[in-house]
Amino acid sequence: MNTGLEKQRNILDYGLMSLWRRKTKNLSVLLVFALVIFLMSSFQFLTGALTDVAQQSLRLAPEITVQKMVAGRQEQIPISYGDKLQEIFGIRRVEPRVWGYHFSTTTGGNITMLGVSSFDPRLETALLHGRLPSGSSAGEVVLGQGVVRDLDLKGRRKFSFFRPELTQKTFTVTGEFKPESELLTADLMVMSIADSRDFFHISETYATDLLVTVANPAEIETIARKIAELLPDTRVVTRPQILKTYNAVFGWRSGFGSVCLLTGLAAFIILAWDKASGMTPEEKREIGILKLLGWQTSDVLAVRFYESFAVSFLALLLGCTLGYVHIAFFDGALFRPVMFGWSVITPHLHLVPVVRFGDVLLVICFTVLPYLAVTIIPAWRAASVPPDSAMR
Amino acid sequence: MLITCTDLLKTYSCEGRMLKAVDSANLTVSKGEFVTILGHSGSGKTTLLSLIGGLTRPDSGTVYIDGIENWQQSDSDLAVMRNRKIGFIFQFASLIPTLTVIENILLPLSFSKSPEGDRGYAMDLLDRVGLADRANNLPGQLSGGQQRRVAIARSFINRPEIILADEPTGDLDEATEDDILALFKEFNQNGVTFLVVTHNRDLAASQQSPRVFNMVQGVLA
Ligand SMILES: Nc1ncnc2c1ncn2[C@@H]1O[C@H](COP(=O)(O)OP(=O)(O)OP(=O)(O)O)[C@@H](O)[C@H]1O
Ligand SMILES: [Mg+2]
Repeated sequence: MNTGLEKQRNILDYGLMSLWRRKTKNLSVLLVFALVIFLMSSFQFLTGALTDVAQQSLRLAPEITVQKMVAGRQEQIPISYGDKLQEIFGIRRVEPRVWGYHFSTTTGGNITMLGVSSFDPRLETALLHGRLPSGSSAGEVVLGQGVVRDLDLKGRRKFSFFRPELTQKTFTVTGEFKPESELLTADLMVMSIADSRDFFHISETYATDLLVTVANPAEIETIARKIAELLPDTRVVTRPQILKTYNAVFGWRSGFGSVCLLTGLAAFIILAWDKASGMTPEEKREIGILKLLGWQTSDVLAVRFYESFAVSFLALLLGCTLGYVHIAFFDGALFRPVMFGWSVITPHLHLVPVVRFGDVLLVICFTVLPYLAVTIIPAWRAASVPPDSAMR
Repeated sequence: MLITCTDLLKTYSCEGRMLKAVDSANLTVSKGEFVTILGHSGSGKTTLLSLIGGLTRPDSGTVYIDGIENWQQSDSDLAVMRNRKIGFIFQFASLIPTLTVIENILLPLSFSKSPEGDRGYAMDLLDRVGLADRANNLPGQLSGGQQRRVAIARSFINRPEIILADEPTGDLDEATEDDILALFKEFNQNGVTFLVVTHNRDLAASQQSPRVFNMVQGVLA
């Protein structure tokens, strides 16, 4: 048998045995450690999942949106503006949209009622079941899951809303959006532009905004600039911009969360330093005795390493598994208030956790590595003193 | 020669004053000898032992064990030498409090063979020091003298060529002391070399052919 291997095995034995001897202490460190890793990994997995959802949903977002601005506020845009745009080369289509908010008395939240002049066939793929509304003014709508819950239709397909001036309009549900897209569709009620004009009383000559589709997606920004030059009293928003804003918001939120987590982590490390490594005189003495009996500094460190590695690796496994379960099966219940705080109709979004190697590496860098350092360095200091100091 | 010390010097600085704990010590011990060094408290006995055992580096002078100078070898070779060749009996409690008696005795073996295989030998030794029934106790559950006896049993577990013993009969009553000295005698007759420092003048008398030195303020005579 290889003696080096045999020796490592004996050291490992000793390390595990000494872990076992201090089982209460090590168990508590393990639990706190696993908790921190759980929070951190949940957070990473959740942000990953949300970013994915957002990017998937945003693929359906309009390429360019043109809004009329008056005194810094959005106003209705004349349809004639769309005609002017036709002279810009590279624009394939200009479509008006009419949309607005309907206050829901039951939840106290707003439903976004969106009327479009044509339905992007890709939208079909976002449907859980049913079909897109026809272009008529028959009152056909597709609902986001938040609205479905909000209206509590219990299988009925018809419901009515009061128009702003208190007459009633009846709608028929033709389909629902998938829960996966809920981040963007939760409060959405999509219908034909004829229906939304009818509901909000907006004349044929105006729209809420104009959607511009370009022939070549690479030219989005160039064309957006041309539009802005041609129509100086408008704001032009592009899909890449929305994506950027979106990421920034997420980035900010996850950044904020990270700061909270790091604070917690720092507290944990201080605790670990104090508990695991603030070596008690007995532990120092133990190291001294081991050295007197012929252990080398490296052997003492190996024992510590195996101990710390076992604790942190178990904590990592435990924490990450719990984190995954938290996102996959509990939809990140603990973090919902932070991540979705802005929305009143809380999305009951089903999340698919995204486990990226980089995320796990980040978790390791912020948890396992500091823990190893924090436990091994003091042992190394204690093991480096000449052995005779333990003799008197 | 098994052990050869030449001009060993070890000083400590105490409040700016140089204190020669061991002063120009010369000592040769051949295999199978029983050497006793007598000296008052503070005369440098412990320091001398730790110089010989490679625990403390001398200011000057050399220590050869089996032809190899302690400090001319690497740290790890020195550690291996301590582990394989020498059994230490320390002046003060040196058991690991969280390990049981039998685990403490097996500890030096962690590196050589499978500790399990030597459990029988460890039990034998424990029996020889009269503590066979305490194998699974923790050191804290033993008296000072009992702990010392466990440490004595531990020093033999590696079947070392040399035993370096610092006041091995320190807190033992006469009857127990006699048992331990008989054990020493037996091992000595089987070829184990002993270097014992003590202020117990009777210790040497118990052995067959002891060589006795005196140590006074770091000077060996
Ligand atoms: N680490 C140290 N720093 C300073 N002085 C020391 C140190 N170790 C030992 N000494 C001094 O060296 C001298 C010899 O000490 P040593 O422990 O060798 O004596 P000893 O003969 O073993 O005494 P005792 O019989 O009481 O155990 C003492 O005066 C002691 O104060
Ligand atoms: Mg002493």
